[in-house]
Amino acid sequence: MAEHTEIGLVVIKRGAIKSYTSLERIKREIELLSVLKSEFYPQQYHFNIDIKTKEFEIVEDYIEGASLRESMKSFKTVEQIFTLLLSLIKGLSIIWELNIVHRDLKPENIIIRKNGTPCIIDLGIARFLDLEALTKTIAPIGPCTPIYAAPEQLINNKNVIDPRTDFFCLGIISMEMFLGVHPFDGTFLENHFSIVENILQANYLLETKHVNRDERMVELAAKTLQLQPFNRFRNYNQLQSFVLKHLNT
Amino acid sequence: MKVYHQTGFRQNWNIESFEQGVGDGLIYSPVNLDADKLLLLDSHLKRTGFIDPQLYLLNEAKGTLDTYPYFPGNIKPDYSTPDLDNSNILLAQMCVDFQIKNDFEYIIIPTRYYADNPTTYFAQTSDYFVIPFCDYIRASGIRKKILLSVIVKAIMLSDDEKRNEALNWITGQNVDGVYLIFEDNSATKQIKDFEFLFNALLFIQILKNNGMEVHLGYNNTEALLYSIAMPDSVSMGSFENLRSFGIKRFQDLENGPMRGPRARLYSSQLIQWVDYQYIGAFKKLITDYENLFDDSEFKPLMFKPEFNWHFLKSEPYKHYFSVFNRQIKSLPGSQTERMENIKVQIKNAVNLFKKIEDSVLLDENSDGSHLPTWFNVVNAFQKEIKK
Repeated sequence: MAEHTEIGLVVIKRGAIKSYTSLERIKREIELLSVLKSEFYPQQYHFNIDIKTKEFEIVEDYIEGASLRESMKSFKTVEQIFTLLLSLIKGLSIIWELNIVHRDLKPENIIIRKNGTPCIIDLGIARFLDLEALTKTIAPIGPCTPIYAAPEQLINNKNVIDPRTDFFCLGIISMEMFLGVHPFDGTFLENHFSIVENILQANYLLETKHVNRDERMVELAAKTLQLQPFNRFRNYNQLQSFVLKHLNT
Repeated sequence: MKVYHQTGFRQNWNIESFEQGVGDGLIYSPVNLDADKLLLLDSHLKRTGFIDPQLYLLNEAKGTLDTYPYFPGNIKPDYSTPDLDNSNILLAQMCVDFQIKNDFEYIIIPTRYYADNPTTYFAQTSDYFVIPFCDYIRASGIRKKILLSVIVKAIMLSDDEKRNEALNWITGQNVDGVYLIFEDNSATKQIKDFEFLFNALLFIQILKNNGMEVHLGYNNTEALLYSIAMPDSVSMGSFENLRSFGIKRFQDLENGPMRGPRARLYSSQLIQWVDYQYIGAFKKLITDYENLFDDSEFKPLMFKPEFNWHFLKSEPYKHYFSVFNRQIKSLPGSQTERMENIKVQIKNAVNLFKKIEDSVLLDENSDGSHLPTWFNVVNAFQKEIKK
């Protein structure tokens, strides 16, 4: 983090360009962020690549607020969770409309601004569906954070990655806010599987010893945490309508 | 649920029937109708229907297909798959423009036909058709609903991986619905394959669960069975090649000797097309045999002794359009009631066949032997959707 004389607080991200693939991915993130002038995404100010050292540097807005990981406990009721979910859908619909899938949604990548608006960060692995896929088809697992990944990412089935992949991640995040624990955590599911194994078997929690099930969350889980994308909400309009319906009742 | 006329050879029968209030619209067939003639048809014959662009085989100029501006051979002689890389956008523009000019109810995105099921089929269909069509439609500000043509091959129903791939692809497209054609390879005139029918119903149901419009093409009487998955429309056609999809209809084959099928008459009570030759036996052996067949304006003529049964006569088909349309339209609106209603219809038909066979023995294409399977399919589907 640094302070710019005109802009104020900024975040400087530096890193090694490990391969052409990672360079292209970073460039895509920059191009996207420069187009997205929205409070749901950080503003990008500067981008530089040093070919000699094979390093990159990005300067972007410092987002004041706490990550969703840090502030998760403040979203206790279904109404609070659905309100945040609605904002996330609004923000993500901007990239979904551009045929882009975030592919790395997790509590650490969502900053809750002081006014309550979520800011979505780290679009570095967003898959630009209009462009040639960067990730290797033969890789056993696609780019993602495995415990927040959809099944198609975990098995690197790139042909089916679309906004419904992000819906799956939103389903995990929402259920985690509601339950207070990861919905695919084997400890609470009382099985011996890892989170990834449970994701791939569609074993998830709907309640815990401390939290009773809520039919709205059950329905949300049933339409987001499905192995096959065709069993999830088909598009963000459907997801948004579902959330709005339950917020208004 | 709508009923469309699947038109083809002798489409005037469908048009005449539609003009008498039978059916909700027409699905036009470029192979059988000159593009200029289609353009000249009155708008009331087109605004509640659509055209199947029939680009199943790129290079086959069957019938009047080459009178259509978007026919690939008109864009470039000897058009082949690699040409789609360069001219897919032009083809999409021409095909959409033609559909708009005719002011059909829906815009149809075509599909290609492959005998096998290539792994690149969906990616190629996206590149060659779906993306250029959708881009052009949206850039042009066209507000009509878009239907995606999909041929569902038997393996897409029987193999889970192929089925999931197909469903994930279809539901991932930014279209309003599908013009769905099940490719049925059965040797019998009615589909008697439990797995095929059950999986077809699930396929439709999943698309409906996704909020998509589902319009079924090339249906025979199994449309009645498919209705329990609540599609938006089913189709009815005259000749057998309009009631079961086969690629031969679009192939410019050498004209070998043609063998016409035997004329048949549809009975809604029997849920079966009955070979006309049995009607003579019915007359002699079954009291009130005429009651086995529905009333229509064509029935009195067909039951006259001098009626010369032939598969190219219009009356049995027009009778079918009228009777089958009525049968579909009388189905209950709710899925639960519809399933029960169809089970009752099937049971009644089975009982009628039992009575008939006390006096007249029928062959496997007239005897209702598909009905037990259909009954089991309804039961299995009913159980499945309760889960």
